[in-house]
Amino acid sequence: MSILEVNHVKKIYTTRFGGARVQALSNVTFSVEEGEFVAIMGESGSGKTTLLNILAALDTPTSGSVKLNGRELVVMKEKEISAFRRDHLGFVFQDFNLLDNFSVKDNIFLPLVLAGEKHQQMQKKLEPIAQRLGISELLDKFPYEISGGQKQRTAVARALITEPELILADEPTGALDSRAADSLLDLFGQINADGQTILMVTHSVKAASSAGRVLFIKDGEVFHQLYRGRNTSQQLYQKISDTLTMIASGGVIHE
Amino acid sequence: MSRGFYWKMAASNLRKNSRVYLPYLLTCVLTAAMYYIICSLAGNSGLAELQRGRDVAMTTLNMGIWITGIFAVIFLFYTSSFLMKRRKKEFGLFNILGMEKKHLAKVIFCETFYVAVITLAVGLAVGVLLDKLIFLALLKLLKTEVSLGFQVNIKAIGQTGLLLCLVFLAVYLNSLFQVHLSKPIELLRGGNTGEKEPKGKWILALLGAICLGSGYYLAVITKNPVAALSVFFVAVILVIIGTYLLFMAGSIVFLKVLRKNKNYYYKTKHFISVSSMIFRMKQNAVGLANICILSTMVLVMLTTTVSLYLGIDKTVSGGYPRDIIVSSSNISEEGRDAVLQYTDQMIAQTGLSKENVLDYVYTSFEVIRKEGGFYLDQHYDMSQVNLDHVSELLVISLEDWNRVTGQNQTLEENQVLLYPGSEKWTGSNVKIQDMDFQVKEVLDEFPDNGNMVKNILNTFCLVVRDQDLLLKFQELQQTYYDYYTRPRHYYGFNIDADEETEIALRDLIAENPGKPEGLYSVESRAGGIESGYTLHGGLLFIGIFLGSLFLMATILIIYYKQISEGYEDQRRFEILQKVGMTQKEIRKCIHSQILTVFYLPLVTAALHMMFAFPVISRIMRTAGFTDTKLYLVCTLACLLVFAVLYAMVYSLTARAYYKIVRD
Repeated sequence: MSILEVNHVKKIYTTRFGGARVQALSNVTFSVEEGEFVAIMGESGSGKTTLLNILAALDTPTSGSVKLNGRELVVMKEKEISAFRRDHLGFVFQDFNLLDNFSVKDNIFLPLVLAGEKHQQMQKKLEPIAQRLGISELLDKFPYEISGGQKQRTAVARALITEPELILADEPTGALDSRAADSLLDLFGQINADGQTILMVTHSVKAASSAGRVLFIKDGEVFHQLYRGRNTSQQLYQKISDTLTMIASGGVIHE
Repeated sequence: MSRGFYWKMAASNLRKNSRVYLPYLLTCVLTAAMYYIICSLAGNSGLAELQRGRDVAMTTLNMGIWITGIFAVIFLFYTSSFLMKRRKKEFGLFNILGMEKKHLAKVIFCETFYVAVITLAVGLAVGVLLDKLIFLALLKLLKTEVSLGFQVNIKAIGQTGLLLCLVFLAVYLNSLFQVHLSKPIELLRGGNTGEKEPKGKWILALLGAICLGSGYYLAVITKNPVAALSVFFVAVILVIIGTYLLFMAGSIVFLKVLRKNKNYYYKTKHFISVSSMIFRMKQNAVGLANICILSTMVLVMLTTTVSLYLGIDKTVSGGYPRDIIVSSSNISEEGRDAVLQYTDQMIAQTGLSKENVLDYVYTSFEVIRKEGGFYLDQHYDMSQVNLDHVSELLVISLEDWNRVTGQNQTLEENQVLLYPGSEKWTGSNVKIQDMDFQVKEVLDEFPDNGNMVKNILNTFCLVVRDQDLLLKFQELQQTYYDYYTRPRHYYGFNIDADEETEIALRDLIAENPGKPEGLYSVESRAGGIESGYTLHGGLLFIGIFLGSLFLMATILIIYYKQISEGYEDQRRFEILQKVGMTQKEIRKCIHSQILTVFYLPLVTAALHMMFAFPVISRIMRTAGFTDTKLYLVCTLACLLVFAVLYAMVYSLTARAYYKIVRD
């Protein structure tokens, strides 16, 4: 069953005085099945971030529809959307977006507290997640005391703790060194293996090669997609590279 | 690089940073204007022509010059270093783009120069324009009229110029120092290096609570007006220390305790507020404590000066139970007659009649009340003597007593009549140093000569058999004290006339050609009220003047706090939204934090005022001000006006804050 359905989404930005109009997305259509790990690739300016913002209900499309578990996001009110975001979506950002005045534990608790959960329940949910992400020791530290990789694990824990239907990741490895990036991608693989649906936007071939399916966006449209199939990450990496080279050189796909 | 480049760059820098520089410039201009005005007032030739109270007004104004000057230095320096901190990133960028520190120094010099020139030009212009207006206001408060034309005080311009040049030099050197110390990478990071969570400093918080508590305690328990003055200073210092410590350490400890309580902390309403407040307090504690202390100062200054000024009539009347008082130190029969005769002649000449006459010879001096009597002791140590036991002793002779009261009392050799003032008397004997008297009767009334009300000490009155004893007491004072007062002849009466006639009569009597040797003085109630206005009018003027200066400082500090808060919150706002808070929720949450932060100083200032109330009202008794009700009304009125002003400033600056956060 598809958990996310994106149909003919179009986004046009208009400058404040109505002068220039910029088309960020022209016609995007795709769907994500439950338990999938999808990567969306594209060059800078291809509309990746716009797409992610629309999926996260932080932005509204000019036309088209986005359905999460059959619910239409586009028509929701601001208040509903916030609660929806909190209850059904988890976010992992490039720059972590941790609040520096909260300890690691409190950062992870944030969405639960906003949802009004009891402290004991929060604590119960936290323990297995922290253990799994290897941050049990860090819970009482503050963001400025831990490394980038640890910060990103904290952000992942914050995304997971609400048991969301979909995790949206925006360049999650962008600010990490290669080792931290590898271990984060491993982690995503594991979570996905446990049944968590993940949608990741990236322009790192390495990151994309750990996904089960890769969508390529060019000029505001889904241009191509690759399935992992039986390929190893290495093989997928090669295929992605080839595709990117071809997109960059403006060629036509023939498989 | 050509010279003009730096000037152009400096100008564009100022323009770019106008959001923070405009208020700074405005403050510089106003400070300059105010400093000019107070210098010019002190040197005003019109004021020098004042007949009465010139010295008092001058002293007050000179004190005002000093306070304004010192304040200007500290405050402008403080603000400019705040500005430098904000701009670290900008300088870091210039540095990385290839400007050396010496180039930066040149740019900063040009900027400071611009600010200095604008400040002096506009500040002096505003000062000169407002000068006359304010001088007229001062005269109005002093209730005098002096004609004067428009004048520009060259000396005051010089003084203002000198002060501001010094301030800007210091500001410039400080900026250089800050740029010199920093490395480009640090410059670039500037304001947002990872904030560490503040430690909960229990001991400091506890110390703060103790300081504040004991300050309050002292202010409330001190009943003796004489002790109150010295206690007040101790209490003020304790409260200031306590305020700073509690704002800096106490607030954080308090919030951490809240955070420890899991069931309280992990609630949507409290979660974000509590932990954000910990950081907010860390950054703002000193600024907020500054605002609190400044506000309290403004309030204390305004309430006391306003009350004293409004209460003049009543205060003075208490000290003058009669319209005109003639006193002389010649107590011989002839001396007394000469005074009486001349005075009555003058009254008759003016066509007036006297009533409520009081005419006696008295002496009065300070004594320490111990069991069974009164003692003079030159070595009494203030710390050892209970100030409540220091009293005044007023002595008159039986002859005068009988004449004044129309009674026909008799006394034996060692007998006295005693009036215990506001206290009770039980003993049958009274000792005065080594003299022993028998108390024949304890009186419950004594004709007041105004000293009893004016005096903050309790006055005991004694009626003795022979007037010679009065001289004996003078000798006693000479033996034990470094000073003594001679017995005086007091002649007081009321006349039924308006103030002008009263003052004219006073002057007439004072010009007595055959006035007796020694001390001879004539006072009138109307004259007392007049000089009261000169004294308290001057004080009120300085109170309002410094009050507005401090208020300006408070406003600027609040404004800068709002702006820096705004930049800090911008990012937090974004993250919270991504994690699932609605804009409305976030705004509500931040709004409540900001409200707490900015109203905390006001509430604390009001609390300080409440505890200062008893001690200040007792101190004001030393100035003869006893109308506690008036003081209470003034305090409440000032608090209300201040709170309204504060709220206005807050809502204006809050707009700047929201503009930044929303960008």
